[in-house]
Amino acid sequence: MTPGGRRRYVALIIVLGICLAAGAIALNIGWVIVNWREAGLLVVGILVFPLIIAGVVLNTIFLVREIRRNEQHDAFINAVTHELKTPVASIRLYLQTLQTRALDDGKRQEFYKVMVDDSDRLLHTIEQVLRAGQGGTRLRHRQFAPVDLSVLVSDCLNIARTRHHLPDAALTYRERFTTDTPPRILGDEDDLRAAVSNLLDNAIKYSGPEVQVSVELEHTDTSQATLRVHDKGAGISQPELKRIFKRFYRARDIVTTRVKGTGLGLFIVRSVIARHGGKVFAESAGPGHGSTFTVELPASPPS
Amino acid sequence: MSRILIVEDERHLADGLRFNLEADEYDVAVVESGEAALSQITADSAVPDLVILDVMLPGMDGFAVASELRRTGFFVPILMLTARGRAEDVLKGFEAGADDYLPKPFELSILMARIRGLLRRKQWLLRSTGTSPTAPAADVFDFAGKTIDFTRLELRVGDKQLPLTLMEASLLRYLVQHEGTPVSRKTILENVWGLHEDTDTRAIDNFIVRLRKYIESEPSRPQHLQTVRGVGYRFVAEPSAAAGSSPTA
Repeated sequence: MTPGGRRRYVALIIVLGICLAAGAIALNIGWVIVNWREAGLLVVGILVFPLIIAGVVLNTIFLVREIRRNEQHDAFINAVTHELKTPVASIRLYLQTLQTRALDDGKRQEFYKVMVDDSDRLLHTIEQVLRAGQGGTRLRHRQFAPVDLSVLVSDCLNIARTRHHLPDAALTYRERFTTDTPPRILGDEDDLRAAVSNLLDNAIKYSGPEVQVSVELEHTDTSQATLRVHDKGAGISQPELKRIFKRFYRARDIVTTRVKGTGLGLFIVRSVIARHGGKVFAESAGPGHGSTFTVELPASPPS
Repeated sequence: MSRILIVEDERHLADGLRFNLEADEYDVAVVESGEAALSQITADSAVPDLVILDVMLPGMDGFAVASELRRTGFFVPILMLTARGRAEDVLKGFEAGADDYLPKPFELSILMARIRGLLRRKQWLLRSTGTSPTAPAADVFDFAGKTIDFTRLELRVGDKQLPLTLMEASLLRYLVQHEGTPVSRKTILENVWGLHEDTDTRAIDNFIVRLRKYIESEPSRPQHLQTVRGVGYRFVAEPSAAAGSSPTA
């Protein structure tokens, strides 16, 4: 179904729901007027009609939600198809170019590098999808080990700088420790790395051409470590601050639809952080004013 | 030297395509968005000879670009490239005005062959001089008060002029050349599009529907472009002569 057709369909369901609810209310009023002398029937009516009305309203809400979810799922399949097939198409194109054309050594090296980049991108998408698939279903406490957040975050920053070809000044890092020990937490290093990388990738992706992202790791309380990722990019509107963490959800304004993604990144962040007993939330002064993502993780007591 | 415009936002793909096309001595330009493609094609005095159009572009997508170009009267051949290869996507592409469609990932050799095919067909149409004596469609073809001008890619009905896309004109020419005899969808695909794989033959049906709108007075009851059940299509210039005769299979 086209988006326009779908919107009409949703409108139709809402109108139908409202009409049914209005009809039930009218019947209810009629019932009360007709039977106002008979206490028994009056009580039955007053109890049953609200139930019917509630049922109709709930049914409408449920249907509309289900359609929305379906729509997001379609968009997700499209995005993943694109994210999987594009790097494969590129790798094949370069391989076939290498096969069929005589190239000098410089060109050859350049093409190899492009193919390595594309296979990295492919691997990244595959890992995201797999990680999102296992999110929440499996508690992997057994693999938890002490992780030094300070080392992990600086690693992620370096990887992000290389991957997005950014100068040091575009992605700054600051640490604020007032405790004696570095911020160590018990956790799964791979998952935490994915979560931090996703936050950095998002901040960079939605920054537009001028990337200016600052990251701050705070450990002023022995029981907690706080990571803040602040960007001066597209920003987030108030109603979307929470929704962006939902699976497949992608913000829909003009700026953000230009950014490609699967709608899995923040979902992974949330489920990883939740598995570690922490929480993550977003703040923004609105579209165009940048945003700040804050992660709070319980730190393990110094041993 | 043919000029080719690549509309592709994935830099690696665009660079790889550009390298190969330049190696084959085409004049190549690359733009990264649909809007940029439209402004380049419509503003530039030199319209490209071929557009390679990606579908999933940021902002305006490839389908929208193709239909906008057709709507505003630009009939440059379009080769669509896309990750979405399902039958309905292919049909949507042709409906939007694409002349050819290739799903990603593609074979480089096939892509280059398709490009050569589209450019060659354009050349044929531009300087068809009627070398074949039997061809009734040298430059123009008249039937039932309508004129198809293959050189200028247009159809004249009375004093109305309808622009035809390259593929519409090629399909019409093929049908006109085989006037009176039924041709199967498969032969059309092979001879007009140069496709030999198992492409969905319904793509042709879309073109037929469009052509009927142009040349039939009652598109729902076609007189000239007849469906031959179980076979394909047949073009009849003077329906009165063939009227009443049972379809020859």
